[in-house]
Amino acid sequence: MPVRVLDNTTPSQVSGANSGKSSFQSCSLLGVGQTPLTPKIRHIEHGVPGFRVAFSGTQNVSSVQKDEAWRVNVRIQGCDLEHGYLCGSMEALNVPMADTPVVTFWEGEIVDTKNYTFFTGKWEATKEDDIRHWSKFPSFSPLLGQVEADGGKSLDLSNYPYIFMRWKEQYFVNVGTDCGLTIAGFYYICFSCSDGSISGFYYDPNSSPYQKLELKSTNDGRSGFSFSSYELQ
Amino acid sequence: MPATPPSADHILRRLASSDSEIKFKAIREVKNQIIGNRTRKLSYIKLGVVPALVTALAQPDATSALIVQSVVALGSFACGLDAGVRAVLDAGAYPHLIRLVSAADYKVVDAAARSLRMIYQSKLAPKYDFEQDMQFLLSLLESRNENLTGLAASIVIHSCKIRDEQKVLCRTGALEKLIRLFDGSLSQRHSSLESLAAILKDNQEVVYEFVNIQNGRALSSLIELTKDRYSRTRLLACLCLICVTNSSCYLQDLGIKTKLIDVLLELLDDSGQVGDDASFAFSSLVEEKEDLQKLAFEANAIEKFYDHLQNHGLRPKRLEGIFLALSHLCSKLECCRSKFASFQVVNILVDALTHDDTNVRTAVCICLKSVSRSIKILSSGYFTNERIVAPLVRLLSDPSTCVQASALGAISNILVDFTPLRSTFTRCGGIKELVQLAKSMDSFIRLGAVCALKNMVFHAHKMCKDRIFMELTVSSLASLICDPEPYVQEEALALMCNFVDGSMDCVEYAFAGGGIILDAVQRLLQKTSKTGIGIQGMYLLSNIASGNETHKDTIMQLLFPQAENVPRSFFSQSLRSFDSRLRTSAVWVIVNLTSPASPGAFGRILKLRIVGIVSQIKRMANDPCMDVKLRARQALGQIITFGDS
Repeated sequence: MPVRVLDNTTPSQVSGANSGKSSFQSCSLLGVGQTPLTPKIRHIEHGVPGFRVAFSGTQNVSSVQKDEAWRVNVRIQGCDLEHGYLCGSMEALNVPMADTPVVTFWEGEIVDTKNYTFFTGKWEATKEDDIRHWSKFPSFSPLLGQVEADGGKSLDLSNYPYIFMRWKEQYFVNVGTDCGLTIAGFYYICFSCSDGSISGFYYDPNSSPYQKLELKSTNDGRSGFSFSSYELQ
Repeated sequence: MPATPPSADHILRRLASSDSEIKFKAIREVKNQIIGNRTRKLSYIKLGVVPALVTALAQPDATSALIVQSVVALGSFACGLDAGVRAVLDAGAYPHLIRLVSAADYKVVDAAARSLRMIYQSKLAPKYDFEQDMQFLLSLLESRNENLTGLAASIVIHSCKIRDEQKVLCRTGALEKLIRLFDGSLSQRHSSLESLAAILKDNQEVVYEFVNIQNGRALSSLIELTKDRYSRTRLLACLCLICVTNSSCYLQDLGIKTKLIDVLLELLDDSGQVGDDASFAFSSLVEEKEDLQKLAFEANAIEKFYDHLQNHGLRPKRLEGIFLALSHLCSKLECCRSKFASFQVVNILVDALTHDDTNVRTAVCICLKSVSRSIKILSSGYFTNERIVAPLVRLLSDPSTCVQASALGAISNILVDFTPLRSTFTRCGGIKELVQLAKSMDSFIRLGAVCALKNMVFHAHKMCKDRIFMELTVSSLASLICDPEPYVQEEALALMCNFVDGSMDCVEYAFAGGGIILDAVQRLLQKTSKTGIGIQGMYLLSNIASGNETHKDTIMQLLFPQAENVPRSFFSQSLRSFDSRLRTSAVWVIVNLTSPASPGAFGRILKLRIVGIVSQIKRMANDPCMDVKLRARQALGQIITFGDS
């Protein structure tokens, strides 16, 4: 989500534990389990189930000056497990300097230890920054030791009920770049396969640290979960 | 030369004359009149001149001079004209020409060889029997005569199509003879390279034999030929090397691959046929190979093809080749698609979409399909331009089904909901066209249309869904679910899934028409053995089960009409499926049926216990597939809130 540039505060230290080696599995709550049609057409990518208003929640954009939280809706629009890639849109609803909700397009890296490890390696995030942010997720603590050793390359995440990702906003969809907002940073994300909740922390060296993103899967007034799909040929 | 064709009787009488001088002059006259004159050829064919020529050359007393004139005339009839080839073959000329290739008089030999080459340039040429007539072919290859070696190459290029034929040629030493011709004349070198490509193509065994000839020296010679000063030689050498890389583990090092890319990109600058063919060769090099596409990207291939597209008045063949090459380059890599999308190509695309040539229209649609295989590009609005959408929609009713199919592929992608494009598409009459194609007799077209509709309905506004639903009609949807083709059935279920996804009122689509859609779904799921259909069906039922009480109760009734047959029911079997995706999708139905927020959940859970489904779900709580396990536990968690038995 676009944020204003704010003052830095000193990040806190966290520590944790360890684990094994991996190949990546899907989770239908994230939508990657929506089945491909019988593969008669090559190069199929599949849409993600249940994201009419897939995830909804808030991002805490508080600063020393004031407490503030923006309502956020997130849609996951596409996913390519083989390359550890996903993407979607993020809509911030009550942005003070915007007349309308601000929508951005983001691309994500799934930490599958094959395509991407826990170490970011770009976006001005050092390994220490990575460890600090991942450690803010309770579900990360069993993995910490191995991640500190090798970025988690030898971890087996195939049966882990959480999916770790990085989301990076790429461009504004409905406003110009002169809107007074920035999308320079990225999110460390943890998705829970059991209840579909998402938590995340925004990282941007020029913004307040640890702005927290908290989302739950939504079901558009339905009594249950609904699925849809598309195919790119 | 006479200004009008001679009368039938006159020319035929002269051709049948017993006076050899009259006959000779008549044959020569025919030969001279038909050179480069298609109309005259057709008119003589109609008159019956071709059989008369064959009769003339078959006479025992026919002189060499007469035979040469007859043979040349026959070759001229066959040159670039299928009707001519047919007439020559029907007149029984072929065995005579084959015989004459071994004549004593070199002029007769040359004429016969050239005429046979004309015939072998046509698809109508007789299939050569390599098993039976290999000695003759080998004797042609051993000849010093360029026309004879050229004839051998034409025969191989025309007739060597299947693995067994390739193996026979390999086994009998044809490869070695062809390799010797690398050092022959330019024409011989070209003929041998073309034949070699035909023998090597897609045949790992033959490639292995070739690579080991002369301890690899033949392969080295081939690689050297990619530096030859003649562009056609370089192209043909590349084609042979592409056959080697595509069919074996040889030539997989980076250096060779980079070299091939560089040579082919440089050959694009040739303004003649070599430049046309280079694009097609490039396509076969990079097709389905991500590593080669990456190398090509790094060699600025996209830019080079784009630069060529900028040239005005490109031949259709050239345009087709460029678009196909771009489609392969953009097929897997986002960087390639992004690079293409960064260029100003709208005018070029529009011209190609409205081109007279069918193959160009097909190729540009295939290219658009590749480029649009990107959510990032779709989200950016690249395809919102009505100037592209309108001609694409028109191509849905193109006279060529190839064009229709490829347009469907492109449209299917760009209809995925991330842009306002759907309104543009609707304004251009796209819905009507898609619905029409969904009724096509051609199952492939039908499939493509349903897939496109599915993408269009994905996350569409209710108003858009209403419009599509009305245009499609309930009975058509039910028919598609009952389609004879399983792939169409599967897509139709996915389309329904997308219809009923969204706001609560969308579930009502499944109940339209007095329930004929649900009836069709139930019948299909009861009889199908296809996992894909089962999975889509389960997600559709799951979507309906996420609705209100009536919706949920309908699903209960559909799944468990009779309590005693439940263990053998399709639903129960789905829960026990070997395929974890099917198990997952079936469990989702239970998750939605037992949603604690719904008032009737208790009653449904009771029934699910009675029919044994709850026990099945309990056993799935430790399913080896994490997704199944989590969903089963989610369902059980909901069931337990109503008390456990």
